[in-house]
Amino acid sequence: MKKSMRVLSMFIVLLMALTACNSGGTPAPAPTPAPTAGDASQAEASPAAEDSGIEPGAQLVYWTMWNEAEPQGQVIAEAAEAFEKATGVKMDVNFNGRDIRKTLEPALAAGEEIDLFDEDVDRVINNWGAYLLPLDDLVNASYDDTNGQPYRSVVSKTLMDLAEQLGGGSIQQIPYQPFIFTVMYNKDLFDNAGITSSPKTWDEFLDVCAKLKESGVDAITVDDAYMAALFGYTLDRIVGAEKCAEMVANLDFSDPGVLKACELWENMVNEGYLSTKAATNVWPAGQVDEFAKSTVAMYLNGTWLPNEIKEQTPGFNWGSFAWPAIESTGDGIEAHNYGGQSYGINKNTKYPNAAFAFVRWMTVGEYDQKLADESMGVPMANDATWPVQLAEAKEVFDNSSIRLAWAANMEDDPEVNTVIKDGLSKLVTGAYNAQQFADSLAALKK
Amino acid sequence: MIRRKNTKMIVIFLTPALILYALVFLYPVIRTSVMSFFKVETVSQPVSEWSFYGVGNYIDLFRSNLFNVSMANILRLWLVGGVVVLAIALLFAVILTSGVRLKRFFRSVIYLPNVISAVAMGTMWLNYVYNIDYGLFNNVIKFFGGDPVMWTGPVTLFWSMAIAYGFGMVGYHMLIFISGIERIGIDYYEAAGIEGANVFQKFFYITLPLLKGVVRSNIVIWTVAIAGFFVWGQLFSPVNLSNDTVTPVNYMYELVFGASSSANTARNTGAGAAIGVMMAMLVVIVSIVTTLITRHDDVEL
Repeated sequence: MKKSMRVLSMFIVLLMALTACNSGGTPAPAPTPAPTAGDASQAEASPAAEDSGIEPGAQLVYWTMWNEAEPQGQVIAEAAEAFEKATGVKMDVNFNGRDIRKTLEPALAAGEEIDLFDEDVDRVINNWGAYLLPLDDLVNASYDDTNGQPYRSVVSKTLMDLAEQLGGGSIQQIPYQPFIFTVMYNKDLFDNAGITSSPKTWDEFLDVCAKLKESGVDAITVDDAYMAALFGYTLDRIVGAEKCAEMVANLDFSDPGVLKACELWENMVNEGYLSTKAATNVWPAGQVDEFAKSTVAMYLNGTWLPNEIKEQTPGFNWGSFAWPAIESTGDGIEAHNYGGQSYGINKNTKYPNAAFAFVRWMTVGEYDQKLADESMGVPMANDATWPVQLAEAKEVFDNSSIRLAWAANMEDDPEVNTVIKDGLSKLVTGAYNAQQFADSLAALKK
Repeated sequence: MIRRKNTKMIVIFLTPALILYALVFLYPVIRTSVMSFFKVETVSQPVSEWSFYGVGNYIDLFRSNLFNVSMANILRLWLVGGVVVLAIALLFAVILTSGVRLKRFFRSVIYLPNVISAVAMGTMWLNYVYNIDYGLFNNVIKFFGGDPVMWTGPVTLFWSMAIAYGFGMVGYHMLIFISGIERIGIDYYEAAGIEGANVFQKFFYITLPLLKGVVRSNIVIWTVAIAGFFVWGQLFSPVNLSNDTVTPVNYMYELVFGASSSANTARNTGAGAAIGVMMAMLVVIVSIVTTLITRHDDVEL
């Protein structure tokens, strides 16, 4: 009797331990639709609702894509604390790191209480669009912290337009930490080679490359991770963005523009303008071993690069210019991939005003500038200052009227990406000529 | 009285384990297998949104160029890698059990790479050993007056990854072989020695036949590792897939969770589930085939 009682009580303890583990993941009860409708009418009733629009007793659970150790993570942690002090809204920040790409969806699907989350502007709408609260009313309203102006007018027009476009005509997310993907170059090496202005056409680009080669450095390099972007940008300048998207969607690379792009790069290899290490660079070798060490002058990448290789590039003189135009049938220097991270507010949140207040806290004023300064990134507010390393990138950004997809769609399908990576590196080693590279792409079938 | 008590205890102790097994292992396996016959976009999509697709996922995969490349990659790894790694492991095992000195030291050293995390090993191989300028291999080659080799170039990247992986796995398989060899009675060798057998004859006529069961175990273990080959492919192509390093599980990862760089790649969890099922089937088939081959060779040691 005694023995079996002991065993039974041990078993009960084990069961209790198991259920305790489970209760941590119990989904929050699904909120009724009433709060959302109520808050919407609240916003409409007082379009100039300042901080009094924040729901009393609000608590925000914020899942972010940053790690706490990253500069962005550190600024967010500080900003959340200051926000809590300033408004009394309890902040619970969850620093997921990039794992958020895998963990957010199951959490949202299970009804877990998450009010605010952030990720890449494309990913927020593509992956979690079903959970987003439409923000048009909130965005067009004026606030104290936007100096009585509508929120939309005090932040980057390019990005708000992008958010509207991605949301199918409705703003479903608020971008922040914008970036643009363009040529980043070493100004010192350019000065050394006697280059006085940035190239606008491919011929000017080849001149620049020739001067750089004469001065003893490689003109441009690429990492395996960005080969699709390099090829995609070239192709875009020959056939245009729409055709690029079509080619990848239909897996049809029979257009003569593809061969032209391959020939341009074959020429770059033969002239010695593309570093031979492009064939062997496994990311981040190209940016860390070559570009940061100033053995290469140009690198097609995003404006996050100065921050990414901050440790390896003290005193680096940064410059940017637009990817040059090639043919009149393609896009010109106004076409680039740009985007950013962005905030999404859960449509089931009980505190939409508090969540939007935090978004304003991060995208306008002190913390927007701080985020830009600490992460060498781009601020959202129109009156904020860009980091000095991205001064030239600002010009490219302001003049980009056409938005290319990431890598001009070349990474949309891994089948295309792998063939481009193979082809480009074989061009460098000489295993392929331009025709063979083009043929390997034409061989792709749906 | 005693028998009844034992049954109660058995049930009480087994139940938590069985519940855990069913929840954590059986349920996901069954769900994944079912998922592989439906068009499912994301892992957490509710079942009501799944649409029946029959064997469509499997057909699409076999039509996909990238999947075929990944299968070719693991076939090369399994065949060439398996033969080389198991042969070297067997060689080391035979040497270490033949009475050399410092046996324990060599055993530890050869097993050491297996103890170190794969991520650390892969990073070291990729960034140090294979570096084109200051890497270990190219330094040695330059020392002997040769030309530096592009270890991480197209095509060679696959073999570099295979070498780096195999290097770490030799120790693991060697230990299994050693335990097998040590179970062979020393009388056989003594008797053979008296009859005048040399080292090679002892190996081919005594060691190898008596190791059939151990060889089978090693082949199955190697197959399981190759079917689940993921980390090294990820390390040697860190940001997106590459023809030289893609394996079915790498492809599955991207299908289920999306690409890490582009946010536009379509997620296809149904296809990912199909890959998972296929890999499991692969291991089961190899296991059955090797068992059938070695079934009638039960030797009483």
